[in-house]
Amino acid sequence: MNAKPDNPGPGLAVARCLRGLPDFAGRLIGLGYDALDPGLHHGLLDAAYLLPYPTSGADAQFERLTGVRENERIDVVIPCLDAELTNFAHNETRLLSLGMRTLAPTREQIKGRAKDNLPALCRRLSIAVPDTRPVTDPSFFDRCTDDGWTYPLVVKGIYYDAAIVHDPAEAKAAFHRIADQWGYPVLAQEFVPGYEVNLVAVGDGRGGMVSPVMMRKKALTEKGKAWAGIAIDDDDLERLASRIVRALNWRGPLEVEALRGDDGLLYLIEVNPRFPAWVYLSHGVGRNLPAMVLRLLAGETAFDPPPPRPGTLFIRYAEEVIVPLGQFEAILIDGAVRTGSGNRKDP
Amino acid sequence: MASDPQAFLRDLIERQRLQSLAVSSTGFAFDPRSGQSFTINRTGLATLEHLRRTADIDETVSALSTRYGVPADMVLGAVEVFVRQLARYLV
Repeated sequence: MNAKPDNPGPGLAVARCLRGLPDFAGRLIGLGYDALDPGLHHGLLDAAYLLPYPTSGADAQFERLTGVRENERIDVVIPCLDAELTNFAHNETRLLSLGMRTLAPTREQIKGRAKDNLPALCRRLSIAVPDTRPVTDPSFFDRCTDDGWTYPLVVKGIYYDAAIVHDPAEAKAAFHRIADQWGYPVLAQEFVPGYEVNLVAVGDGRGGMVSPVMMRKKALTEKGKAWAGIAIDDDDLERLASRIVRALNWRGPLEVEALRGDDGLLYLIEVNPRFPAWVYLSHGVGRNLPAMVLRLLAGETAFDPPPPRPGTLFIRYAEEVIVPLGQFEAILIDGAVRTGSGNRKDP
Repeated sequence: MASDPQAFLRDLIERQRLQSLAVSSTGFAFDPRSGQSFTINRTGLATLEHLRRTADIDETVSALSTRYGVPADMVLGAVEVFVRQLARYLV
């Protein structure tokens, strides 16, 4: 679940998509990592459980899910957090023995689109990508202009976070902040002026991309996350994403982040190995992507998604979830909570 | 990138950018590729309609000059500015 007010995780959005299906009759079980994770307490879910942090490893994850399985029948798990994906990939066969199916990328696929491997992938596929290099010594930012770099440039974490910096002092401050939080290396990336466009879809694991939905951010948080966005239809972006999915035989959800430069070219920025928080837009444009995951896992191979509806907007808002003390106690002490309703419909 | 208005227009048409523009009768225009929206006034709407239909600046100027009773050279200047503006919006 992993939701924060100005940077929500995708879990709740995935749950809202599934709950929004007119014929959905299943139970929704939330899996989270922190007792204050709002998704664990949201009325959309039938029950929620805490998992050990991903750094605890695949065995700890499997052991916990085995315990959850004693209380809940779980047919499908949709991982929504980058950090947990490797454990799910490792546990896929074992989870299947418990009846839990996942449509998630393999470890090789996850690695193939990692930020430090992206330039090589782009070279192989002839996809434009901003010049990027790993940095471990912050003095790079003092002398990088000697090597042809120009400010502003982008300083990025290996897993998360990015800052646009305009001089060496700003760059070094961002470097230290990001390295403290996300470790080394930090990435320096050429700044390309333009606007960001994103695509979310599902890879069928055989090279096919199912039901892409594209979006341009219209309002941003301080972290550059979308607070409002509008559905678009960009053939170039769809082709670019298709090539990536085909090249990696991508299996499961993915988000492609790209930049339409002022020069008219499309630059690949990132490939995220899971649904993004804005995936609820897929339900809004009639291409409910979490539902596609269920259909693929059910063995469907032919899809005829309705035409995308460019111009459909989403505007995010934050709301307070009221949590009785007993429920908070349950998640802290038992690592489990049954919210009870689990039938709240979203429009 | 094109340099003169007719070349700008040809480029927009070849890239399907003009045709894909969603325009309502109120003048609200939405570019489905970029997600940008903007407004077009009544004469702009008439101009856009002719440009889409004829793909030719001279034919558009001639039609608008007749329709509005304005000298062709005056219409030409306005249409060229309009096409350049479209080219900027529809990168």
